[in-house]
Amino acid sequence: MKKFILNSIVVLITALSSSAYANSIDALERERAHTVNLILDKTISIAERKSRLEKSKMKLLDLERMIINNKNINKNPSYQTIKAFENFELTFLVHSSVEKGKPLAITWFEKIGLTTDNLINTKVTRK
Amino acid sequence: MKNIKFKITILFILAPFYSFSCLANSSVEEWKPQIVEKMYVLPPQHLNKVLNNDFNKSILALNLQNKDELIKNKIDKITELSSLLPGASVEETLEIKHQIIINKRDYIKDMNDLLEIKKQKLATKKMIFNKIQKRINQKSFSNKANNLFLENKNNAMERAKKIDFKILESTSHNTSKKSKYFEQYQVNKDAINSLKLAIEKHPMSKQNVLSKDPKNKVEAIRSFIHNIETEIAVLEMKEQIINYMAKIVALDAMQLAESVSEINVNSITNNSNNNDPTNVISIFTKS
Repeated sequence: MKKFILNSIVVLITALSSSAYANSIDALERERAHTVNLILDKTISIAERKSRLEKSKMKLLDLERMIINNKNINKNPSYQTIKAFENFELTFLVHSSVEKGKPLAITWFEKIGLTTDNLINTKVTRK
Repeated sequence: MKNIKFKITILFILAPFYSFSCLANSSVEEWKPQIVEKMYVLPPQHLNKVLNNDFNKSILALNLQNKDELIKNKIDKITELSSLLPGASVEETLEIKHQIIINKRDYIKDMNDLLEIKKQKLATKKMIFNKIQKRINQKSFSNKANNLFLENKNNAMERAKKIDFKILESTSHNTSKKSKYFEQYQVNKDAINSLKLAIEKHPMSKQNVLSKDPKNKVEAIRSFIHNIETEIAVLEMKEQIINYMAKIVALDAMQLAESVSEINVNSITNNSNNNDPTNVISIFTKS
């Protein structure tokens, strides 16, 4: 019984400590998904998309900066965190777009392979 | 005379035991420095200073000082007693020699204790340096596993740092309200950069290269351990010297005991000579 309680405590502490690091990454992932959703949303006007994207971009930038400067994640990084830093361009979308000097949407499309050339090539293949 | 003979006999019996006691550990107070997390971060030179300061506050250091004083007193006493020897009578000489032997015995005992304390200090320091070295090795091993992630993280930090100005420029015409974090980020980043610059320019920063480079730190700790081992070896040689000193004192005691017995024999012989009638003829021939 004592062993069970001890094991439970260890599991709980591990879960809590990992969740503390993962939370910021989770929030970033959520915000990025929301931004990508805005980019792909056809139901809103161009002006509205622009305004909402601006707000989302600022929020995303804050979250990206928080994660990049978080020294706590250096200790025992989760698999999700390791992968996030392996793909800088996709994870830190705002930083990447500023670095390349391209809009957020273009940076994301390019990163996932949806470039104009690729799309034209797809069209040629269909014919 | 009988009293001296008795004392010397006791000394003669006890002397070999003192030479053996030199080999055994004397019961001295221990020095147990508190190993705190700070010690693992400190550069080796500072760590050495911290350990020395900690030792100076310990009971062991107090004992070391006391032993030092005792040894000094014993040496003074032996020198003083030796200076009395030339003008002393036979009985006085025996008593002085006896006192010299007792003081020499005490000196050997105190010196042995002193060497033990010094050895204990060095052994404790060595143990701490070994622990720190082990910890650095463990850390570097776990760091290797984390290396790729840390490389990616550092790259991300570098890239983010490079585009900080660009971000500020691109967001300057942003109509949406900037967050509190965004406002504070730039202020804090500037403050951090100015502090980092001040740290780099600080003269002590150059001296602390050892604390930054773990390889150098391990090397420095290894050299400290080597120095400690050398000091311990020197102390062990001194212990050998003490052993020889103890043997000399034992031999001195034996010599003193023999000379006392010789005096006794001579006095007995002299008495028997008076019993011989040929030796007392002059008394009878005198008118």
